[in-house]
Amino acid sequence: MSYALQTLWHERQRYVSGVFAVTFSAMLIALQCGLLLGLFKITSIPIDHATPALRDRIIWVGSTGAPSVDLGKPIPAAFLTRLAGRPGIAPPEMYIANFANFTKPVGGTELCFLLGTRLDDEALAPADVLTPELRAALSEPFTIVVDQSDVGRLKLDSSEGKPKINGKEVRVVGVVAGLKSLAAPWVFCSTHTARQLMGPMLPPDHTTYFLARADSPERARQVVTELRDAYPDDMAAYVAEDFSYRSREYWLTRTKAGVAIGYAALLGLIVGAVITYQTLKSATEASAKEFAILLALGIPRWRISVMVLQQSFWVAVIGMGCAYPLCLGLRELARLGGADVDLRWEVLAGTAAVTTFMCAGAGLWALRGVRQIEPMSLLR
Amino acid sequence: MPAISTTPTLRGVHLTRTYGDGAKRRAALQDVSISLYPGQIALLMGPSGSGKSTLLAVLSGLLEPDSGQVLADDGGEMHDVWAMTPKQREAYRLRTTGFIFQGFNLFPALTARQQLEIVLNWGGYAAGGEGRRQADEMLDRLGMLPNRSKKPSQLSGGEKQRVAIGRALVKNPSFVFADEPTSALDWENGQKVMELLRDGAHDRGASILVVSHDHRLLPYVDVYYHLEDGHLEERPLTPPGH
Repeated sequence: MSYALQTLWHERQRYVSGVFAVTFSAMLIALQCGLLLGLFKITSIPIDHATPALRDRIIWVGSTGAPSVDLGKPIPAAFLTRLAGRPGIAPPEMYIANFANFTKPVGGTELCFLLGTRLDDEALAPADVLTPELRAALSEPFTIVVDQSDVGRLKLDSSEGKPKINGKEVRVVGVVAGLKSLAAPWVFCSTHTARQLMGPMLPPDHTTYFLARADSPERARQVVTELRDAYPDDMAAYVAEDFSYRSREYWLTRTKAGVAIGYAALLGLIVGAVITYQTLKSATEASAKEFAILLALGIPRWRISVMVLQQSFWVAVIGMGCAYPLCLGLRELARLGGADVDLRWEVLAGTAAVTTFMCAGAGLWALRGVRQIEPMSLLR
Repeated sequence: MPAISTTPTLRGVHLTRTYGDGAKRRAALQDVSISLYPGQIALLMGPSGSGKSTLLAVLSGLLEPDSGQVLADDGGEMHDVWAMTPKQREAYRLRTTGFIFQGFNLFPALTARQQLEIVLNWGGYAAGGEGRRQADEMLDRLGMLPNRSKKPSQLSGGEKQRVAIGRALVKNPSFVFADEPTSALDWENGQKVMELLRDGAHDRGASILVVSHDHRLLPYVDVYYHLEDGHLEERPLTPPGH
């Protein structure tokens, strides 16, 4: 065991506040980022739940510059020919995705987001949570499915009245779970129903997106590049996973939520850095006489500095070692409360990097104490 | 006692060191000259505030004198310690100098063996198994081998000072400076410490300078200096009144 780690363990009571500070910082950063990513995953639900296993090879074609899946504008159905018939590309399908006005059965309106897709077994677009029974039920005109979490919001649990979308009466044939909405509840239906409900708001022979499956991820990227090069002015093409990322990134930056989270994380980092610094500083001061002896014996000062930096590294490692299980536990707790905390490896690795950097900074800061150690102090 | 060489290995020449300014100016050392010889243990005594620790610090390369020279044998040649750059002086201390202080100043987390190993490892003398072997060898000479795995909290005051002596001697220094090495110990342990230091000087040919208030140390030393009001004089080894 290194002298640094041995000292840390022996004087663990002294270091516990530093470890606690690192744990707190790491948890704050990881959970905030995880919550944010979990929250903004909602914005890409139509993409992420359209045959998720193939999200690296489904091509989405929509209007130019659509920054997010919910902001696509209608494109001519004739664009289908630009995609169809290309080698390695299955026949495309239409996807209608539009905001609509939902009238609750008890009165009052709410904005909803219509997702009109093909419903057959081969279709790419329908949400994976739509069971064959629900798909069969949705094949009837003017039928819809909503998420369980929106039933209360849309007052669909009321026995009075009937819901309407864009003034047209609809019938709820079932509910799904796990597709929470942010601003507007998702409303699942067939393309036929969506077209009927949109009426004049969706021009005839138009759709919002085309989806097509490529034989391979490589082919998907190749075709996307070809389409972008060939039609840069009036349509946009993405591989599903890229469009999903783009949608989340757009809302993340548009809402400035990332900035707010960044400030909170920065606050956590500052608190963590200051406490870690104080811990290392007091530990260095406590060992000043022992270090002074070594300096008197001619041991280079950098050896002592390295030991302090090693201690800061171990404080980071132990702090994160405590933080991660707590984060995972809190994620499960949040899940019980209906919140998704997305602790993907990038979040955990990023947290580790930032926290280690913070501790290294605190360690470097604490080195000022090492520079002040003088062997002469032992003789005074 | 083996014959002591007639050629000094460490010489302080016309050393002067003052503290404070103006009316508060006080001379800790006034034109002090001293020679230390290999294999010799010298005792430096004097009342509190007489400048004993200042002389030790100046001779050991820790405190720069206002004037005068400290000439030390380093690799067969005499070098002026205070003409060296700080880096050179640090390297010189690493090669030649050991220290023992009144407070044992041992790392609480490290075992007796590791207190010595850290000097060998970090000083670049020996690492790994070789460092352990050298540390054990020194602890064995000090009668501390059975305690090698104990931490300071498990050792008595005398045992701690023996470990501190081991730390000072393990790199086989030419000069050892001991500031009140026995004052925190009872007389029995103080005697043992002095015997160990004397053996260290005689067996290893080191020059050892001990600063102390305690006249009972006189039988253990080869030469005795008295420092008072910044002036140094060599005195006979017979304690006063004998």
